Amino acid sequence: MSNENSNLYHDQIVLHLVQFSVFWAIVAMTAGVYISAELVWPTIDFGQFWLSFGRLRPLHTNGIIFGFGVSALMATGFYSVQRTSHVPLFMPRLAWFVCYAWQLIVLLGGLSLLAGWTTSKEYAELEWPFDIAIAIVWVCFGVVFFGTIANRKIRPIYISNWFYGALIIVIAMLHIVNSLAIPVTIGKSYSLYAGAQDAIVQWWYGHNAVGFLLTGGFLGMMYYFLPKHAGRPIWSYRLSVVAFWAFTYSYIWAGPHHLHYSAIPEWVLSLSVVMSVILLAPSWATMINGIMTVSSASEKLKTDPALKFIVLSLAFYGLATFEGPMMAFPSVNVVSHFTDWTIGHVHSGALGWNAMITYGTFYYMVPRLVGGELYSVRLANIHFWMALAGTMLYVMAMWGAGVSQGLLWLSVDEIGELSFSFKDIMASMAPFYGLRLIAGLIFLGGTTLMAYNLYKTIAGKSAVKVQVPAVDPAFGVSS
Amino acid sequence: MVTNIYSFLLFKSLYQPLEAFKQLSQSEPSPLGVMLRYSIWLLVLPPIFSLIGAANFGWRLGAAEPLRLPTQALLLVSLGYFVVLVFGLFSTALISRWMAATYGASAALGRHVALITIVGEPLAVGSLAHLYPDVFINILIIIPTMIWSMYLLYKGIPIALGITSEKGMLMASSLVGWLLVAAVSLLGLSMTLWTLGVGPLLGV
Repeated sequence: MSNENSNLYHDQIVLHLVQFSVFWAIVAMTAGVYISAELVWPTIDFGQFWLSFGRLRPLHTNGIIFGFGVSALMATGFYSVQRTSHVPLFMPRLAWFVCYAWQLIVLLGGLSLLAGWTTSKEYAELEWPFDIAIAIVWVCFGVVFFGTIANRKIRPIYISNWFYGALIIVIAMLHIVNSLAIPVTIGKSYSLYAGAQDAIVQWWYGHNAVGFLLTGGFLGMMYYFLPKHAGRPIWSYRLSVVAFWAFTYSYIWAGPHHLHYSAIPEWVLSLSVVMSVILLAPSWATMINGIMTVSSASEKLKTDPALKFIVLSLAFYGLATFEGPMMAFPSVNVVSHFTDWTIGHVHSGALGWNAMITYGTFYYMVPRLVGGELYSVRLANIHFWMALAGTMLYVMAMWGAGVSQGLLWLSVDEIGELSFSFKDIMASMAPFYGLRLIAGLIFLGGTTLMAYNLYKTIAGKSAVKVQVPAVDPAFGVSS
Repeated sequence: MVTNIYSFLLFKSLYQPLEAFKQLSQSEPSPLGVMLRYSIWLLVLPPIFSLIGAANFGWRLGAAEPLRLPTQALLLVSLGYFVVLVFGLFSTALISRWMAATYGASAALGRHVALITIVGEPLAVGSLAHLYPDVFINILIIIPTMIWSMYLLYKGIPIALGITSEKGMLMASSLVGWLLVAAVSLLGLSMTLWTLGVGPLLGV
């Protein structure tokens, strides 16, 4: 359990969170693979409601975002904030509470989704009792994180902490505002907002959950672990700070681009498109900063399989952050919206960026946490190629399916009638979905290899005790 | 060496790509020469195959009836396809040369044009699939071809540009980032053109 010695980092919490994160990755990706199989063979829900696409799909997304993603962010946030502040975690018992309460929310929340409790708001499906629990645990997360920063022994607040901090503040704001609802029963509530307002609030939440959790949070991870990996300072610290503020300012406006051609004011849509395009600048500034940092440390690639994951994750980050603004254009969106291209876009980010940078970070962090070597570098290398192949195959399959759907749905004949029926188009997508299923299996297979590799690395060990190092007086907090 | 590199590139690079990269590392061909005597012959293949295929069979997007376009529109689409490919090759070569400075690689533009063409050659030949423009069949053929091309990119950069394989890995990954963006831009550009009325008849 937590070490009360004030001169040691609290790394056992980090180790637990990493294990939970990998566990949820396997569970939620398996759910994803299963629902992708359901799109090929629709009868494999066997008439069970809890096995239906409608219930497993939110389990898949919530499990990945809140189980895998947030656990990884908490783990890496706790790990890096101690090391960049030169102090152990503030209120370690509260940190343990955050760790376990969060896992309980993901577990019970997942079961409630299977039972059919849902607000029907995408990525915010959990009902009001869970929303309240999430808000409480999230605020505790913030107390631990910002408390640690407040206690810091180093004067500057390193850039990764700005991103983790933005993650904590903005997600709290989005979650609380979007979840305001009137409870009717324990498992049912009605949103405080109605109609178009509800849609705008929901996508302000939905898009910024992508922005500040899946992008901002993971950028925090990148800014700490990439320079650590490479053994080099970040290429341009100034660029990283400029990118942070530009990112934070412009992201928050972009949500309504999910609602093109709907009953919300046109100026809101236009503004969201403009902001989406502006967003490309800070996103790519960060990508270039990462690539340039690693480019001077190429010799590390010889010995470090983890660095490959991070290098490639930056390429997919570049793709996803370009693809998004492009799909926000009304002339592209009219064809791409509601098609599987959107699913492909999300997964080029989720698999290519989020999962890969997390894998790279875990391969780096876990051996250091337990004071040993990675069990098998070879398995990690195989995992790398499986992750790349799975992601590419997934994205290609969904590009093909999405473009076909977009064209076929909108095709009209000479007298202006639709050329194809929705049902026929849906039925013709099976080959693409089959390909996607294979892609998912390859990616899940790679993740399972990592789980085994990390299990063997950790087995029988606990986190090594790391002493807080002395602070260089030039950077110390004067007290 | 310089005189026979073109004929070597055009034919042997398909089945002896690593040998071609080695040859390339010893010569500095002119960019225009590479373009006119090597690249262009590969770049015309996809538009021609696509034109023949679409004119004879129509685009099969999975649903029952194929989508047919008037010949004039098909010609326009194929011409656009060719222009985009030429632009894609040249911009990729320029970006590759720009990146070369970071990784200490050769800066001879002709070498970069040839390198990118060797990498893309399997895709150009694989575009034979366009003769039967069924999207799924095309994707099935393009995926293994693309894997081969990516392998060539990662293998070829360190050989042809004379850098360590680790630096080559970084540079190739950066180029993959650019190529992914280029591919998705092509999708977005096509959709914008369709929305504007160029290409298939859409009810938008």
